[in-house]
Amino acid sequence: MSAAGAILGARSVSKSFFGNPVLRDVSIALLPGRIHALLGENGAGKSTLINLLSGTLAPDAGTLEIDGDRIAALAPRDARRLGIAVVQQELSLAPHLSIAENIGLGAAPRRWGMIDYRGLAARVAALCTGVGLTEPPELPVGRLPLGRRQLVEIAKALFRRPRVLILDEPTSSLAAPDVAMLTALVRRLRDQGVAILYISHRLNEILDFCEHVTVLKDGAVTADRPLAGLDPLGLVRLMVGRDPQDLFPPYRAQATAETVLQTNGFRSGTASGIDLTLHRGEILGLGGLAGQGQEEFLLGLAGAAPARAAQFRMTTGAKPRTAPFAGVAEANAAGLAYVPADRKREGLLQPHSIRLNLLLPGFAAHPVQRRRRAAEAATSAELAGRFTIRGDLRRPVQALSGGNQQKVALAKWLPLAPSILLLNDPTRGVDVETKREIYLALRAMAAEGKAVLLLSSDTPELVHLCDRVMVFHDGRVAALLPHGAATEEAIVAAALGLAAPAAASVPA
Amino acid sequence: MSGTVRRRLYWAIQWRRNEGLGALGIVLLAAAVLYAVLFPGIFGAGALNKFVQGWFPTALVAAAETIVMLTGGIDLAVGPMVSLGSVVAASTMQSPLGTAGGVLATLALGIGVGSFVGWVVAVARYPAIIVTLAMSFVIRGVALLILPRPGGFVPHGLSDLLAGNRPVTALLLVLLVLAWKLYQATPLGLGLVAAGDNAEGAYRSGVGVTASRISAYAASGMLQALAGLYVAAQTGSGDPLIGEPLTLAAIAAAVLGGVSFLGGQGTLRGALAGSLLMSILINVMFFLRLPLVAQYVVQGAIIVVTVALPRLRAAARRPV
Repeated sequence: MSAAGAILGARSVSKSFFGNPVLRDVSIALLPGRIHALLGENGAGKSTLINLLSGTLAPDAGTLEIDGDRIAALAPRDARRLGIAVVQQELSLAPHLSIAENIGLGAAPRRWGMIDYRGLAARVAALCTGVGLTEPPELPVGRLPLGRRQLVEIAKALFRRPRVLILDEPTSSLAAPDVAMLTALVRRLRDQGVAILYISHRLNEILDFCEHVTVLKDGAVTADRPLAGLDPLGLVRLMVGRDPQDLFPPYRAQATAETVLQTNGFRSGTASGIDLTLHRGEILGLGGLAGQGQEEFLLGLAGAAPARAAQFRMTTGAKPRTAPFAGVAEANAAGLAYVPADRKREGLLQPHSIRLNLLLPGFAAHPVQRRRRAAEAATSAELAGRFTIRGDLRRPVQALSGGNQQKVALAKWLPLAPSILLLNDPTRGVDVETKREIYLALRAMAAEGKAVLLLSSDTPELVHLCDRVMVFHDGRVAALLPHGAATEEAIVAAALGLAAPAAASVPA
Repeated sequence: MSGTVRRRLYWAIQWRRNEGLGALGIVLLAAAVLYAVLFPGIFGAGALNKFVQGWFPTALVAAAETIVMLTGGIDLAVGPMVSLGSVVAASTMQSPLGTAGGVLATLALGIGVGSFVGWVVAVARYPAIIVTLAMSFVIRGVALLILPRPGGFVPHGLSDLLAGNRPVTALLLVLLVLAWKLYQATPLGLGLVAAGDNAEGAYRSGVGVTASRISAYAASGMLQALAGLYVAAQTGSGDPLIGEPLTLAAIAAAVLGGVSFLGGQGTLRGALAGSLLMSILINVMFFLRLPLVAQYVVQGAIIVVTVALPRLRAAARRPV
């Protein structure tokens, strides 16, 4: 439904990665002089859509349209020539080059084949004033704090005098005065007839100055309408709500009253002031938008990142542990296992056999023992059976699908009999069937009395699987929701920094 | 903003790039003073000229290595390429092609081999360290096939022009710096630095990353072949192994001069200062009658220490 007069549009585009559909039949139309908001949860397909519109990726199906003309292929170079500029989150800057060179990179004025530094300086000076960059233009970009780099990124997009400007969370690292400056600037560009696509998680910003909204959910458009008449909770409702089908095993409360891990004032990276009480048999979910500190919290607990805590007490071992772990091996020995999100790089040794991968943590526990092949075969066969990893275990692990690889990454920790499992987004990029198997395995492990911390970017998972959900926002816990109160609306609202409707009732 | 401020942008950027070179400058000054004290004869006009001539091949290959390292690559075939350059120059100049033909053949060799390596790295996307290591054997082999032992001939006039008593070499150094400045001010020149700094970002910004990389390797190859031509002029003949020490010297000079193995960071002035320091050290070692292979020990150690220093400093500063 590409509206008439659109500068840039996509018509029924689809895109899959490794068989997982990321965008399905998505249409969008960017009109001159209109600020168009693009909204969606983590993994809803926003980044993929931006990459299609800017020529960084090509759609599997569907077409792009520029000024009403269909185009077959769009390379970044073409996109720029056609006046499409994207403000990424600090992705396109060269840290050792100056502000001015970065702004002009790839588009600087030339004289006799050489960069016209005089002309560049003049245009850069005007742009920097416009976006509020007061630093000297010869300063290397790497010397700027993150928020200022974002302004360079914006100036760089404007340098190309765009007709379409795509802003990907431009305010996420900006201080309040800079946000006001940016807002005024975007309005000015709109009045000049630029078509603007604005991606942000700050709903108030979107309601404040966008005119039209496209909402993505699971790669499909759930709304394409004017913003007038919508309130923040109305927007949240458009982003969430999925039929759980039979994906999740029926929920049963299995948490006991026995505390296995307690921390107060835990800090690691950007996460700070985190209070956690984890019980035997509990599945505790960690939610929030990407990069709000939940991952660093998990890494800090696992001993993979430096961490401190006012109070720390882990009571599963023979004697209680009272300080955060300084290393992963130490944490493993104490009965804590961390399953990383990036199974390809961190979770598994790809070229090695499934069996070797399953046995690896066990090797670490007995570094100088003669290997006992028969026992190894029995152990790996048992793990494979339990996680329904089918086929020959001597195959390299890279021969498995993503979902089955995830099962290996999870199963390999069980021989160590961990009492606490830290899972970093275990179902990301995993097919539905395998998701269900992983859910069943998690439930079974909780029933055995293990405690599970489940970081997930998939909100329904938090809703249907977890006994409680901690929602992170800006490095802190924005809400702690018990099962039942942790609805998709409540989780997403807390993740976006709105006051949670059914806020934090905290069972001990 | 006034016009003068605008005009100053280029020089302001250039000035910023001196950051981090202070320590090298001090060490270089100290080495120069030490050298002058040990060998006061250096200040004779002839001696200084000879010193610059001894330094020049190292300076050329340091520049060649710097271009490649700025793109995020590395060239391990610098030494053999210098040898091949000297062999090709010396064997073509005695053929009917003559002196001019020999210079052109050497230039074509450098640009051709450089472009090929650049293509393999930038388009076929093989790691530069593997490609140039393999090429170093290919090039060394070809040089030995053309001239199994030192031979060939460089016209006396050319030798006298380049390596005689007139300060032509100093002039060539100035030309090198000027050519570099011009190259760095073109989109290709700036593009190779941007590609080394953030390849994905440069590509998205519309920088011709592939073209920048290939031209960088081509320019580097040309400088290496020219260094070979210069060495042949100095000795009056071609030598299939004469460049061998220069691979390590080029990397050591670049690293000393603040050129990063990770790409995107570094300056020619730094690399030239590094090569000058290296040249002084080699001369001192020579006068102290240390065996030639001591160079390797010193240069290798310099690379390791220079690369390790910032990390040790960062480790010492790390909190928690």
